[in-house]
Amino acid sequence: MTERIERELWLPATPEAVWEAVTSDGWLAEHVTLDLRPGGDAQFDSGGLLRSGWVEDVAIAERLTFWWAVDDEPASRVELRIDAHGDSTRLRVVETRPLDVLDLIGVPLPGAGGANYGPALVAA
Amino acid sequence: MSDSRPEHRVRGPRAGSAAAHSSDDRAGAVFGALSDPTRRALLAAVAEHPATTATELASQLPISRQAVLKHLNALTDAGLLGRKRSGREVRYEFTPAALSDAVDWMTAVGAEWDERLAMLRGQLGGGTGAQAIGAAPRSRHPH
Repeated sequence: MTERIERELWLPATPEAVWEAVTSDGWLAEHVTLDLRPGGDAQFDSGGLLRSGWVEDVAIAERLTFWWAVDDEPASRVELRIDAHGDSTRLRVVETRPLDVLDLIGVPLPGAGGANYGPALVAA
Repeated sequence: MSDSRPEHRVRGPRAGSAAAHSSDDRAGAVFGALSDPTRRALLAAVAEHPATTATELASQLPISRQAVLKHLNALTDAGLLGRKRSGREVRYEFTPAALSDAVDWMTAVGAEWDERLAMLRGQLGGGTGAQAIGAAPRSRHPH
């Protein structure tokens, strides 16, 4: 078992339509606030469940990588990838827990606390 | 932000473990600790013989006691093993909590994505279901 979730979905829609759907309110959370630039703030509010995080990487209608966490839970990293193949568009989702990722890229682990899983850490 | 994070979330195994394998055969990883076949064998041996020592394990496996200790430390850091001192010896026990924590996370997070993808399919159409990567590709989609 790996602490990694991977899914893919083919949709009869354009990458732009898929991008619009996955970044709009109601998909990642009821209310989504994304500052679409590296290091930008991200808030995912579903009433009882509030996740906050930040944007690692973004290319409109192609990819969005962000980190999110509930309160003091460990943050996880989400990659959304969108690519067109003919009339179909593929959406790929990968969610991983951070230590897995950090271990792979050999970044020294910081102390405990979601605040440490910030842009500076990945830039390091 | 939290003082209550279990140790296995704070300390992880070091590079060289997970990085040496493709994502496909990183099966069994709790933060990469189980990506190493020797560590999996060690974990199985400890689970089978609770309260075992590094010396006993080294006699069962074709690796040195020093190498056994190194792997036991990685497994302990990942929260998969607990140490108990008894006299001059350190005995190891399998602590499956880290494993079930990982399973719980994967189950909950996987279900969330399945729900979101089903919603998206309803919204944008498409007859193909969400699938885990690695499942047989649909022939009508070129690669």
